Amino acid sequence: MEIRRIAVLGAGRLGRGIAECAASKGYDVVLFSQGAGGQDALRRIEKSLDRKLAKWAITESEKRLILGRISYTLDLKELANVDLLIEATIDHFYTKKELLRTADHLCRPEVVFISTTSTLLVSELARSITRNDQLVGLHFIPPVPDVPVAELVVPESASPEAVEVAKNFAQRLDKKVLHIHESAGLVNPRALITLVNEAAYMIDEGVCDAAAAELIIKESWGMSQGPLEMADRLGLDLILSWMEQLQEKLGDRYAPCPLIRRYVRQKRLGVKTRLGFFAYTEDDAVVSLEEGEKEEFEE
Amino acid sequence: MIIFVLNCGSSSVKYKLYDMRDESVMAEGKVERVGQDNAVITHQSTGKEEVSKTMPILEHTTAIRECLNLLTDPEHGSIKSVDEIDAVGHRVVHGGESFSDSVLINERTKEILESLSDLAPLHNPANLMGIRAAEKIMPKTPQVAVFDTAFHSTIPPHAFLYAIPYTVYQRHKVRRYGFHGTSHKYVSQRTAELMGKNIEDLKIITCHLGNGASIAAVQGGKSVDTSMGFTPLEGLMMGTRSGDIDPGAIFYIMKKEELNLHEIDSMLNKHSGLYGIAGVSDMRDIEKGIAEDDRLCKVAFDIFINRILKYVGAYTASMNGVDAIVFTAGIGENTPSVRDAVCRNLEYLGVKIDPELNNRRGEDLEISTPDSKVKVFVVGTDEEVVIARDTVALL
Repeated sequence: MEIRRIAVLGAGRLGRGIAECAASKGYDVVLFSQGAGGQDALRRIEKSLDRKLAKWAITESEKRLILGRISYTLDLKELANVDLLIEATIDHFYTKKELLRTADHLCRPEVVFISTTSTLLVSELARSITRNDQLVGLHFIPPVPDVPVAELVVPESASPEAVEVAKNFAQRLDKKVLHIHESAGLVNPRALITLVNEAAYMIDEGVCDAAAAELIIKESWGMSQGPLEMADRLGLDLILSWMEQLQEKLGDRYAPCPLIRRYVRQKRLGVKTRLGFFAYTEDDAVVSLEEGEKEEFEE
Repeated sequence: MIIFVLNCGSSSVKYKLYDMRDESVMAEGKVERVGQDNAVITHQSTGKEEVSKTMPILEHTTAIRECLNLLTDPEHGSIKSVDEIDAVGHRVVHGGESFSDSVLINERTKEILESLSDLAPLHNPANLMGIRAAEKIMPKTPQVAVFDTAFHSTIPPHAFLYAIPYTVYQRHKVRRYGFHGTSHKYVSQRTAELMGKNIEDLKIITCHLGNGASIAAVQGGKSVDTSMGFTPLEGLMMGTRSGDIDPGAIFYIMKKEELNLHEIDSMLNKHSGLYGIAGVSDMRDIEKGIAEDDRLCKVAFDIFINRILKYVGAYTASMNGVDAIVFTAGIGENTPSVRDAVCRNLEYLGVKIDPELNNRRGEDLEISTPDSKVKVFVVGTDEEVVIARDTVALL
């Protein structure tokens, strides 16, 4: 079956990124989200495309073409018309399970399901649906249009055909697909939270401030974005929840640094609250603030 | 002998059917938006009404099959059966260093073509898709590949090598390949014909000025230099491509604007040229802008002309003379103001054009005056007929 129309469940950063990336590669995308999430997601995708336009990465007509391929809906019944389903909702086992079950009823039987989960086990999710041989894990890393790798997780139940479908999809999105063993936290999230946690400890201990930690890590390894900005963009609440889940599954070396707990308690969550390790403008750009000013910002 | 000429792009298929007894076009058409639910096929058999329909065409095999259905349609077609087609000629953009001439396609050729996709990632894969699709539908019909780069394979090393570490050429084949070869070949031959001279004795500068634009120096019927290089980005100013630019400026822009490779590539290929300066990429819009006193349209036009002049001067020098200058393709054939601006600045070569002839349209003709030392021609390019001829020659 040729895959032309894909469903993306969840309009968060990951879902939006997948939708934008897939649409720019010619797929028709239907974004499913709750409430006004779809409309907001489309606005944010347009904003992301505008940033690309400003950097000459795309043309005005390419932008229109990409946006024209993305639609959103609240109505899950539209799942009956899709050729591939990508689940990119928040990593909450029961929510995901329920959603996949519903989709299982509504999608045509041959449709392959992809889960982007990073902390839950795909094989456990597979057990909750009848098409358990057609669920494959594929973790895209935000910002999805820019990161050229994806982590593939193949649960034992998955059929080779379904794996092929997931791989082809990722490759068409220009992602290098790396097959990894099923394990909570996968590679990218696990490595990232370790780095973020260590940086948080250094800040908390007064070894250096956030800006210095960020710059040293970023520049020494030639990263285009440092771990603290990455954490701010993902949301410190999400980072904290990943840490807690991994601590539960893999042990105390993932125990969150108290500084991160403090920030989350203070609703200092990163880009979405305009303040995390760094401060951000309305356009999501980093503001460089002196430490003192940051304290004022907090009050 | 009946030849089917195919030009497959990533989302389009263009075709022409030739009766090679007199090189007459029996039918032509195109499919646009291949890969979508609303693909459009336009087809016209010579002497019959044009037909057009919209339908879902998801890949090239279906597109070509639909074209062949129209070609064999009792009402709109021009042949009774696909079996009447003696061979298929494919336009292929990049032949790399492997193909210096057109070739009969076999398994080995396809393998080489596949390996060349790196050099022309936007075009070669689509060309190859067209070849595979045509083979699937007409497994017994010979298929020929005609390359955009082949005519330039005679360019000598001193003109095709870049002055960078030689190992880069050895390792990655980074060198000047040149493009629009089929067009430069056709118009240079046609010019010799119009001059009534043997092409072996002529030094011709061919200006292919379309949305993409390149100039070639053709000496004794062979390309000895051309303005496009490793990619179609080098050389003249184009609709949306920058043409020549100091590589140092590129590094500076990347740093200042914090651009990655994709962004700078897209800037130079899609946001530059006439469009980059004036905000419009079509020469007709530039002319309109000039008429309305738009300063940037005027500058864009002047840069465009200046680049042509530099190359004409350079190629005259490298060939140690020039007998004829030829204008072809969209802008070259249809924009008298461009030809006029170029030729007025070539007085030092003894170029004189007749304004009245320069304003004529729609025919191949000499536009220089009888006393002009260098002859100037306007020739309508016809890449398809060259593909058809090359195909016949290989059967």
